[in-house]
Amino acid sequence: MLEEIGFVDVRVGAPCDTFGGASGEKNARVFEVYGYPFLARKPT
Amino acid sequence: MSTEPPVDPAALREEVKSKYRDVARNPHGEFHFHTGRRLAKRLGYDDAVVGRMPDAAVESFAGVANPFALQALAQGEKVVDVGSGAGFDCFIAAQQVGPDGRVVGIDMLDEMLHKARASAQQMGLANAEFRAGLIEEMPIEDGWADVVISNGVINLCADKKKAFEEIWRVLRPGGRLQFADIANGKPVPASAIQNIDLWTA
Repeated sequence: MLEEIGFVDVRVGAPCDTFGGASGEKNARVFEVYGYPFLARKPT
Repeated sequence: MSTEPPVDPAALREEVKSKYRDVARNPHGEFHFHTGRRLAKRLGYDDAVVGRMPDAAVESFAGVANPFALQALAQGEKVVDVGSGAGFDCFIAAQQVGPDGRVVGIDMLDEMLHKARASAQQMGLANAEFRAGLIEEMPIEDGWADVVISNGVINLCADKKKAFEEIWRVLRPGGRLQFADIANGKPVPASAIQNIDLWTA
């Protein structure tokens, strides 16, 4: 979707186990949910 | 592919408001996610930076990753934090951009805005301000921002395309979007996506 809008140089960083040890961990594991940092640039 | 949001955006917004109003008022309550200093450590924020912040500036933090992990901000940059909550990422940003930079946090909850403004004053951050608004309709002029940041917010928007288009509008040409959010490795059934109660569960 980012590229569809026009963003370029899209990068995705390493996953974080955001929900590990929290009560939402069970659902997160079922759907392999992790947090990620994203970076994208609007062209000049 | 349908461009219709999977749930009613206004109804989802009310659900999100209810959940995060509770995070503002009762940050040490029981949530399905971590909050505060424990979460910041888990997500890899700099202990020394977070350690200097007062409790009120950190306790309602409920992000999902670190939007500064791939690139730090530069001195003097103008930054918008979309869904800034109680201001945690704005305070990190304000320190990175320094006194010549500027940070504007936008949130739809008065409770979060109140906490953020109080913490900014307590920390003496003159380069950070907080405005009421929605991600789909930000109170920011076209092309103002060098960088837009966000943390765990876009996944809670029913119309993500509209959210990204609004971010595009406020970014200057050459500007960056640095956001943190969740993504699933296995598909979520349509029935679950259409159940608004599960979006914040």
